Amino acid sequence: MSAFLFFRFRILTPRRARAAAAACLLLAACTTSNESPVATPALVDDYGVSIGPATAAQRIISLNPTTTEILFALGAGERVIGRSRWDQWPVEARTVPEVGDAIRPSVERILAARPDLVLLYASGDNRAAAATLSAAGVAVVALRIDRLADFDRAVRTLGHVTGLEAAADAAVDSVERSLARVREAMRAVPRPRVFVHVWDNPLMAIGGGSYLSELIDIAGGRNVYAERPEPSPQVSFEDLVRREPQVILAGPAEAARLRTDARWADVRAVREGRVLAYDTMLVARPSMRLGEAARALALLLHPGTVLP
Amino acid sequence: MRRPPWVALALVLVAVMAASLMLGATHVAPGAVWDALVGQGSDDVARTIVRSIRLPRVVLAMLVGAALGVSGSVLQGTLRNGLAEPYLLGVSGGAAVGAVLAVAGGVSAPSLIALAAFGGALLAVAGVLTLARAAGGASDTRVLLMAGVVMGAFANAAIMVVMAAGSPDVARNALWWMMGSVAAAGWRDVVLLAISLGAVGAALLHRARWLDVLALGEDAAESLGVDAGRAGWRFFVLASLLAATTVAVAGLVGFVGLMVPHLARSLSAARARPTMIVSALAGGALVVAADLVARTVRAPAELPLGAVTALLGVPFFLWRLRVER
Amino acid sequence: MITFHAVRVRYPGADADALAGVSFGAESGRLTAVVGPNGSGKSTLVRALLGRVPLAGGRVSVGTDAVNDLPRRSLAQRVAVVSQREDPAFPLAVRDYVALGRYPWQAAWGTPSGDDRAAVARALADAAVSSLTERRTDTLSGGEWQRVRVARALAQGTAAIVLDEPTTFLDIAHEMACFELLSALAHAGRCVLVVSHQLNLVARFADRVVLLSRGQVVADGPPDHVMRGETLERVYEWPLVVSRDPAVGAPTLVPLRKRHTPFP
Repeated sequence: MSAFLFFRFRILTPRRARAAAAACLLLAACTTSNESPVATPALVDDYGVSIGPATAAQRIISLNPTTTEILFALGAGERVIGRSRWDQWPVEARTVPEVGDAIRPSVERILAARPDLVLLYASGDNRAAAATLSAAGVAVVALRIDRLADFDRAVRTLGHVTGLEAAADAAVDSVERSLARVREAMRAVPRPRVFVHVWDNPLMAIGGGSYLSELIDIAGGRNVYAERPEPSPQVSFEDLVRREPQVILAGPAEAARLRTDARWADVRAVREGRVLAYDTMLVARPSMRLGEAARALALLLHPGTVLP
Repeated sequence: MRRPPWVALALVLVAVMAASLMLGATHVAPGAVWDALVGQGSDDVARTIVRSIRLPRVVLAMLVGAALGVSGSVLQGTLRNGLAEPYLLGVSGGAAVGAVLAVAGGVSAPSLIALAAFGGALLAVAGVLTLARAAGGASDTRVLLMAGVVMGAFANAAIMVVMAAGSPDVARNALWWMMGSVAAAGWRDVVLLAISLGAVGAALLHRARWLDVLALGEDAAESLGVDAGRAGWRFFVLASLLAATTVAVAGLVGFVGLMVPHLARSLSAARARPTMIVSALAGGALVVAADLVARTVRAPAELPLGAVTALLGVPFFLWRLRVER
Repeated sequence: MITFHAVRVRYPGADADALAGVSFGAESGRLTAVVGPNGSGKSTLVRALLGRVPLAGGRVSVGTDAVNDLPRRSLAQRVAVVSQREDPAFPLAVRDYVALGRYPWQAAWGTPSGDDRAAVARALADAAVSSLTERRTDTLSGGEWQRVRVARALAQGTAAIVLDEPTTFLDIAHEMACFELLSALAHAGRCVLVVSHQLNLVARFADRVVLLSRGQVVADGPPDHVMRGETLERVYEWPLVVSRDPAVGAPTLVPLRKRHTPFP
C-alpha cells in the first residue's frame, strides 16, 4: 500500500522542482532576514496560485494524506471536515468523513460540505477541480510534497492558512533538529550504495526528487539513483545491476519476495543477504516523524550504531 | 412508424436533463433547482452547484451526445455501414496522441490539452483522407476504413510509447482524458460546442438528401445526379470536424455515435434528415443519462463517461444481434 | 437521342481498349439493345454514358449536349439508369425508395410536390409494383426488387432510360412482362437502351440491336440483320443455330452442345 502511495503521489517533474525551489528561496529569504523587517513576500502554492494573507480557516477539506496528517499534528484536527479516502493517518483522521478522491474529486460533494479551505494534491489532473472551486469562491491550496524542503514549506503554509504559524514553526524546527542530529552522527560513516525498490513492473526506484533519497543521505547511505531528478524514476534492471547496489531497501512484503525471486538472485545485494525491510508506517510518507524515520534508516543501514 | 415521435423524444431529453440537475453527489430538491435557475432562493451552495457546476455540465453532455449522434448517423449513411462511428476516420487516435503528447510535455491547462487534442484529430483525419486518396480509392468505403484502422493502430502505438516513457502522472492523466468526461465543463466549452454543432449541423441538414441518395450506392447516386465522391468528402470532413470538437471538450466518449443512429433510423424510416435530428435528440439524452450514472453510482467518486457509455454498448449489441436474426 | 461517337475507353493498366471506337445511336421511340459476350464492353458503355469513366477519345451525347458538358443534375433529368446490381445499405419503404427517383427535380429543402407524388404513383403502377408500396426493400424477392428498381427509374421522369441486365433475377413471366413494359415505354416515345445477355428476348422486343465484340461494334441494325448464325458464332465462339418459329415471329437462338473428347 505504501508502494502504491509512492506510485501515486511522489512524482516531481523538473518544473515542480523549480517552483518548489523558488518558493523555498522565498521562504528562506523570509526566515533568515529577521534583522531588517521586509514585507512578507506572497506565498504561492504548487500551482503557482498565490495564497492570501494569513487566515484561520475553520472548515478545511484536505484531499491529500500528507496535509491531513500535518493538520492533525498542528492541532487543527477538529477543523478538518472532510478527507480523501487515501488519508488514513493519524488514526483520528479516519473518523473524518470521506468526501472524495485525491485525484479528480467530486466538486459537488466538496461544495456541499461548505468548506472555507480545500487542500488538493497538486497534480495536472486536479487543475480543473481547483479552478472550479476557486470560481465558486472557495480558497484552494494545492500542494505537492516530494522533498524535505517541500514538507517544511507545506507545514508553514498550513500554519499560515490555519492561523497556527507558531505551532507550524515549532514543528518544522523540531523536525529539522532531529534530522540534523542524525545527519551529524552519520556524517563520517562509510556509505553503502543503496537502491530503494518502489515497484516491479515497470521497475521503479526512488530518485533524487524524493524525500526518501534525502533521508538515505542523512542516514549514512548513498542512493544509487540520486542523480535522477524524479521522485520515482523508471529504471532498467540491467542498469541497476551495473550500479551494484550494496543494499536494497523495500517494504516488508516486497523485501521477502525479492529475497526469493529468481530474477534478483544474481544481484550482489541479494546474494550478500542485504535486502532490508523498512518500517512502512514510519518511512513511507513524510510526516512529523521524519526524524524518527531517519534514525530507523540509519540503524538499518548501520546496525549497532549508537545515535543521540 | 412514418413520423418520428418528436414530442416524446423532446420530453425524454428534458426529463433526463432535469433529473441530472437534481441528482448527483448531493441531491438538490426540484424547488431548489428551480430557485437556483431563476436566481432566487437563499441556498448559495445549491445555487453554485446547480448553476456553476451541474448546468454547464448537463448542457455540455447534451451537446456532446447530440454532436456524436449526428456525426455517427452521417458517417453510417455515407459509408453505407451500420458499424461506422464518429471516431472512425482517425479522430480518436489523433486526438489521443495530441492530448497525451501535451500532457507528457508538461501541459496541464485543460484548454491547451483540448487544443492539442483538436489539432491532433484534424491532422489524423487529413492523414486518413490523404492515405485513402493515395491508395486510389478516396470514395471507396473499404479503402477509407482500412486507412482509418491503420491510423488508429499507429496512434495507439504512439500513445503506448509516450505513456511508457513518461511518469505515472502522465499515464494517469492521459488515461482519464481518454476515458472521456464532462466533469470539467465550463461555459466556454459549451459555447464552443454549441457553435460548432449549430454550424456543422446546419450544413449537414442542408445536404441531408444527398445521404438518402448515397445510401443507394455510388452508381445509383451518380445516376440520380449526386456527385458521390464530392458528397462523400463533404460528409467525412464535416462529421469528423464535429467529432473532433466533442473530443476536444470531453475526451473520448465511445458508442454513442455507433448506437444512437440505429435507433434513430428505425424511428425515422431510414430517412436522412429525420434520422439526423432524432440522433441528436436521442444522443443528447443518452449522454446526459450516462453522465448522471457516472457521477451518482459510486458517489462521490466518478466513473469515466466513456466507460459508462461503453457498458451500455454491450446490451445494445446483444439487442442488435437478436434483431438482425 | 443517346449517341456514342467513336467512343474510346481504356482502363488503367489494361493492354487493350475496353471500347475501341464505338459509334451508334439510340433513338427516341425505339427499344435499342446492346448485346455481346462477357468482356465485350457492354457495362463500360453504360459507365461512359454516366460519365463514370474518362473517355480516351470520342464523345457521348444526350440529345445535342455532350454528357461531359452537362451538369450532373441535368443529365439525371434526361437519363435514368437501372444498374446491374443495387443494394441499399439500410432497408427503406418501397414508397420512399421509388420517391428518391424524383431527387433530380427537387430542391434541397423541398417537400414532395403534387407532380412528384403523381409521378411516383404512375411509376409504381407502370412497373406493376403498386401492391408493394408499404413493404421494406429488404423483404422483397429478387424479381420484386428488380421491378421496384425499374419503378424508381420511371419515377425519374426522364426522356431516356438505360437498363443494364434488367432481367437477371426474373422468371419467364416477369422477364416477358419487363420487356413488354420496356417496349411499351419505347413506343410511347421514350428512348430505351437495354444491355442484355438474353439474346432471344432482345430478338423479340428490340427495334434495333447493337452487337459488341472486344470493344467494337460488329453489327448494328434490326434483329433480323444482326441475329445471323455465322456472325453470332464468330462473336460468341460457340456453335449455335438460329431458327425462326412462326409462333414467335422473331429469330430464336439455340446454342449447341460441343462434342467433347474425354480427358485421357
